[in-house]
Amino acid sequence: MTDQAPSARTRVRRLPELGVYERERVTAIVDEALYCHLAWIGPDGDPRVIPTIHARVGDTLYVHGSAASSMLRNVKTGLPVAIAITIVDGIRFARSMFEHSMNYRTVVVYGTAEEVTDAAELDGVFDAITDHVAPGRAAEARRPSPDELRQTTFIKVPLDEASAKVSEGFPEEPAEDVALPVWAGILPLRTTTGEPESDPLNVPGLQVPGYVTGWRRPGTSG
Amino acid sequence: MPASPTARTRVHRHPERGDYDLTTVHRVLDEALTCTVAWVDEEGQPRALPTIQARIDDTLYLHGSRGARAWKAVAAGAELCVVATVIDELVLARTSPHHSMNYRSAVVYGRAREVTDRDELYAVAAAITRHVLPGREDDAIVPGDDDWRETLIVAMPIDEASAKVRTGPPVDDAEVLDADVWAGTLPLRTVAGSPTPAPDLKGGIPEPPYLQEFRRP
Repeated sequence: MTDQAPSARTRVRRLPELGVYERERVTAIVDEALYCHLAWIGPDGDPRVIPTIHARVGDTLYVHGSAASSMLRNVKTGLPVAIAITIVDGIRFARSMFEHSMNYRTVVVYGTAEEVTDAAELDGVFDAITDHVAPGRAAEARRPSPDELRQTTFIKVPLDEASAKVSEGFPEEPAEDVALPVWAGILPLRTTTGEPESDPLNVPGLQVPGYVTGWRRPGTSG
Repeated sequence: MPASPTARTRVHRHPERGDYDLTTVHRVLDEALTCTVAWVDEEGQPRALPTIQARIDDTLYLHGSRGARAWKAVAAGAELCVVATVIDELVLARTSPHHSMNYRSAVVYGRAREVTDRDELYAVAAAITRHVLPGREDDAIVPGDDDWRETLIVAMPIDEASAKVRTGPPVDDAEVLDADVWAGTLPLRTVAGSPTPAPDLKGGIPEPPYLQEFRRP
């Protein structure tokens, strides 16, 4: 895969040394993040942003877009969107309050979203979204009915204007701060699961599936 | 203190999940480690940036880089929409379209002002440090005046805001309840691993007890 040249919007200006434009880095972050924040422009020209669920298929990002669907239907040329994805890997404790930071990985995708209207494509998107949340689930869950397919709006955005920003490592502080009697280091963070709770309406005898008890995000050790 | 929903804070999709009590909004903003700020840029395109936030009473503070063009627009008073999200549980239904999450999100609309008052800036630095891990703000060395040259703090009132909350088991249509598919919820939480001291940490500095106190949600 070829690296993507940064466009004006995705160039990381804040800390240029963190800018990584490798497509693999982008896709790994997109796949690991459970949800995203979808921004678009509302009816009065004002910004809107909501949390929603996404999944990647190849170089296309699919996003549950029912909240944006009223705007989507008013535009013929697609809906400009910005999608922000954030994974926090740890808290970086410096001696100085100001040098505190987080170890994080973020991706921002810009593009023009189109509604997914093809029935076969939509069917595949449901699988991709279901497996994005809980890998293995799509093979077990009942498939959407034609009515359900019609009721849900998914949008798609090509993953070609996207950039990742990655911050990792220990705080770097000047010698006079290192000399201070304050603890510094990294507190790693990860997402874990509690005990699954079975739906009281489950038919008797159903076991909690292995992909639930062993749930973890792709690319993580759980 | 319930706020009256405005046209844009009113929750249209799943209106039963709308929560207009600002104390709910506050709790989500406090609990989410990060947020995303969205605005419309000078070319009329939507923009979104992840950042870290802190709340002091009814004011939301956001932290950005003074050198970034994007943050200049925010500080200059662009119309903003900020969202923060906490995921509590995965909700696995019998049918794929009924899969969901139990989550709490908060959306705040408005314009921000740049914080320039020295006392307010220092209060915000402590608030952001406390937001990430309470207790740390009393330990870390307070910023020097030079530090503010690169960092921008903006403040926005939390008045036009709403929360959206989903709780409970999956909701499937009655005709699929006899399906042989396990349904239920899976709680998620963010936990801390073992702290790793910085390689240049001076000897004899004990690990502060608040490192063990990280809990979200």
